[in-house]
Amino acid sequence: MDLTLNVNGLPRQFSAEPSELLVERLRDGLGLTGTKVGCDTGQCGSCVVRLDGSSVKSCLILTAAAAGSEVTTIEGVSGTPDGPLTGLQEALRQEHGTQCGFCTPGMVMALGEFVDRSAATGGEDAPTEPEIREWLTGNLCRCTGYHSVVRGVQRACAAQATARQEG
Amino acid sequence: MTAPTGEASVLGAPLDSREDPQLLRGEATYIADIELPGTAHMAILGSEVAHARILSIQTKAAEQMPGVLKVATAADFTDVMPLPCIWIPGGVESHFPPHPYGLPGARPVLTGDTVRHVGDAIAVVVAETPRQAAAALAAITVDYEPLPVVTRADQALAEGAPQLHEAVPGNLNAYWTCGDKERTDAAIAAAEVTVELDLVNQRTINSPIEPRGAVGDYHAATGEYTLYASTQGPHNHRFLLSALVLGIPFNKLRVIAPTVGGSFGTKGYLYPDMALVLLLSKALGRPVKWVDTRTGLMNSTVQGRDHRQHVTLAGTRDGRITAVRCTSHANLGAYPSTIGPGVATALMGRSISGMYQIDAAFCEVYAAFTNTVPLGAQRGSGRAEAAFLMERLVDRYAAEIGMDPAEVRRRNLVPAEKFPYDNGLGWTYDSGNYRENFDKALELAGYADMPARKAEARTRGKRLGVGLATYVAICGVGPSTRMSQEGMLGGTWESANIRVHPTGEVTVTVGSASTGQSHGTVFAQVAAAELGIDPANVQVLEGDTLKAPYGQGTYGSRSYSMAAPAVALTARKIRSKLVRAGAVFLGIPEEKVVYAGGGVHEDGNPENAKTFAELAMAMWYGWGLPPEIEPALDETTHFDPPDFNYPFGSHVAVVEIDELTGETEVVSYTAVDDAGNIGNPKIVLGQIEGSILHGLGQALMEAAEYDTDGRLITADLTGYALPRAADAPFFTLGKTVTPSPHNPLGAKGAGEIATVPPAAAVVNAVVDALSDLGVQHIDMPVTPEKVWRVLAGRTAGTGGTGGTAGTGAAAGTGTEGGPR
Ligand code: FES
Ligand code: FES
Repeated sequence: MDLTLNVNGLPRQFSAEPSELLVERLRDGLGLTGTKVGCDTGQCGSCVVRLDGSSVKSCLILTAAAAGSEVTTIEGVSGTPDGPLTGLQEALRQEHGTQCGFCTPGMVMALGEFVDRSAATGGEDAPTEPEIREWLTGNLCRCTGYHSVVRGVQRACAAQATARQEG
Repeated sequence: MTAPTGEASVLGAPLDSREDPQLLRGEATYIADIELPGTAHMAILGSEVAHARILSIQTKAAEQMPGVLKVATAADFTDVMPLPCIWIPGGVESHFPPHPYGLPGARPVLTGDTVRHVGDAIAVVVAETPRQAAAALAAITVDYEPLPVVTRADQALAEGAPQLHEAVPGNLNAYWTCGDKERTDAAIAAAEVTVELDLVNQRTINSPIEPRGAVGDYHAATGEYTLYASTQGPHNHRFLLSALVLGIPFNKLRVIAPTVGGSFGTKGYLYPDMALVLLLSKALGRPVKWVDTRTGLMNSTVQGRDHRQHVTLAGTRDGRITAVRCTSHANLGAYPSTIGPGVATALMGRSISGMYQIDAAFCEVYAAFTNTVPLGAQRGSGRAEAAFLMERLVDRYAAEIGMDPAEVRRRNLVPAEKFPYDNGLGWTYDSGNYRENFDKALELAGYADMPARKAEARTRGKRLGVGLATYVAICGVGPSTRMSQEGMLGGTWESANIRVHPTGEVTVTVGSASTGQSHGTVFAQVAAAELGIDPANVQVLEGDTLKAPYGQGTYGSRSYSMAAPAVALTARKIRSKLVRAGAVFLGIPEEKVVYAGGGVHEDGNPENAKTFAELAMAMWYGWGLPPEIEPALDETTHFDPPDFNYPFGSHVAVVEIDELTGETEVVSYTAVDDAGNIGNPKIVLGQIEGSILHGLGQALMEAAEYDTDGRLITADLTGYALPRAADAPFFTLGKTVTPSPHNPLGAKGAGEIATVPPAAAVVNAVVDALSDLGVQHIDMPVTPEKVWRVLAGRTAGTGGTGGTAGTGAAAGTGTEGGPR
């Protein structure tokens, strides 16, 4: 079937098997290999992308079901391929919130939504550690033990709050 | 030990990882991301049954499926040698059919006659797309004649057990011992107090988040093969595959490790797929790519731990440990993996006495074959199993004599003045200050406040338990000769090359290969510190056998204490050459040359100087150099240390058990580890944190469970539980620093060491929390169900599960039959 997806701001047209998964389209069809596949069961979160703003596991969604939507992959988070790191990415860098990096794109996508939401609440209440850990539950990481990732999110949210106060 | 002469601020500084930005942008290339032009895709058919004779394999239907290029079975690879096992326990015969090169053969690239575990590779399909390959796999039919199945080591060794290999009667691959049996038996017989436990160190699955994969690319014009693989040891894989499996010249195989998405030991092994993609690429004249699935990984990538042990500790009434003894049944799985038998014996057995000074110690291991996935390394491998048994015993002993477990430990720690210390089991500990380390952990954890915390928790319906665990982890594998005495077939040294370019930039190449440890950052720090230059000027290359000198790779936390010393020593060669050449360039005697800030100057006359960049260019031209000084700056070192190094540490787990649900929550965790001098504390911090959570995973939730038919029932991440972000709070970490005398950096292994004690610490804490119910031991993983049964047993009035003094009673182990 012929489908259209808006991927990282660009309309992409292609024909796909009805059983094709969104992650297959992104990786194999569109060459966007930043999205990773770590499991067969929707458990690991390595494949998370943003679909119309919400973070979703792209191995659990048929391409057809995403037709017409706005998809953002890790390649699209900085706006351009060589754009600056986002506040979240920069905070994760400073906290060394990645080691082998395989879980990282999925985490950046999932946590991106969290940080956006925290900003949307006006950043009045900094998210608590349990809130961050709860949000991260869908993303597995075997290297970091998650601590540096959690610290990275705390740092990103704090930086955002400071910027808001100053701005 | 010479201290680096460079800027003190570079080495030991928490520099940001230079690898991180690329990873955070998703730009790094992992094996699944490699797509060479014309690539065909391979899928592997694994056995559906755990033990059977293969009567026939029908591939016709698969061959006719759309896109299929080739279907192959064992019959297609009769001239390929079996995958070898290169670490058989030292001093014992392997009893395994030999490899043509005199090595013990481990397994063929495809199984033709008898399958021995679910997932055992039987056939492969190569097709135009991965989907087509997978579809064609389903069209292959195999007729099996089922054979009886055994999945536990102790049962495999019993009379009448199913036999796995004709050449291995009774399934016993090795009976291995260390220590002094007579002395230990005598000490135990004469002891005032003895305690015993039956322990199950359950089988676990490392589960790096990236599954394994391989791409083979054969060039007919040159006869050269290139293997891209998710490997932690490209040089090792090159050696094993070229010379020992494919039978091709060493220089016809290039192995490239792209970015590797975690390994924790599992990606250092030789697997059939690595050979198959190369062979099929040659057969088809196209690159052949294979990427595993999670379920495939769980059924074919080496698994870890898996010991059933009967352990005994003897001591005096006043808390002095006099002997420790361990009898272990180790489950090697269906075949000896590349180094699995050594992990199950030497790495575990020689480590059992941990941080304690014990007069008599003995360990025996029966290493057996069963119908399960082959056994291999797992973050903290061997040493975690050893720490678990020793630390459980110490707590059991403390309870028996009514002494605080911290006090028992303190009384038995090897004193600082005893180093180097021979532990009587084969290891000589290099250096340590165990008392300082242990006391620091207790202090940081607030050990003295625990009674008050216990009382407070009771008011909330929680039982609070405190668990201590200490450890010594052998690292820095290793001294090649020493490893050969352990049965390792091959050198275990590490190498580094440094080239200084004419423009003053530096390239460091190492034989090691990162699987997420930021080698590029840390090795640059080492070279920069030694040369006195900016680390930003240092490029680090690794992971490609064509670019890097030889080396064994990253395993056993060896990169910083093996490869980094090689870098440091190489930088010192460069430095000393620059001093000699500097004398020529500055027109002064060598004794007057001062090397500082990367350049040279005349002692007392800083005006007469050359910068690093000037020297680099001058050496590149080579003008005016005397014949004894070669032009250019290009040095290599092969570092083979005099002995291993022995990091150590003390951990304190505090858990709260919910009275109603039996759920165990780790409410605080304190770790004080000593890895000697550290190159980059930010990077080591991440490794320590990840390691602790991995250890907590084994204690609380991880288990590879096989059913009686030998099916892995935890073959995906819905069945196999990995710790998630909410499973632990932030850890409280401290460190002590005891440099190792065995390398020029004073470094000890760091990456995986903190995985060694958490399982023991948590189970000790859980037993502490339940001790008033008479519980003396509880098997891992400590699931809510197991604990709930203990609690329910109490309320139902059936009493606890405490045994009589001196015997271990397992509470709600949930395993059939008794160990042994
Ligand atoms: S690959 Fe999608 S959740 Fe694991
Ligand atoms: S960084 Fe390796 S899995 Fe998360």
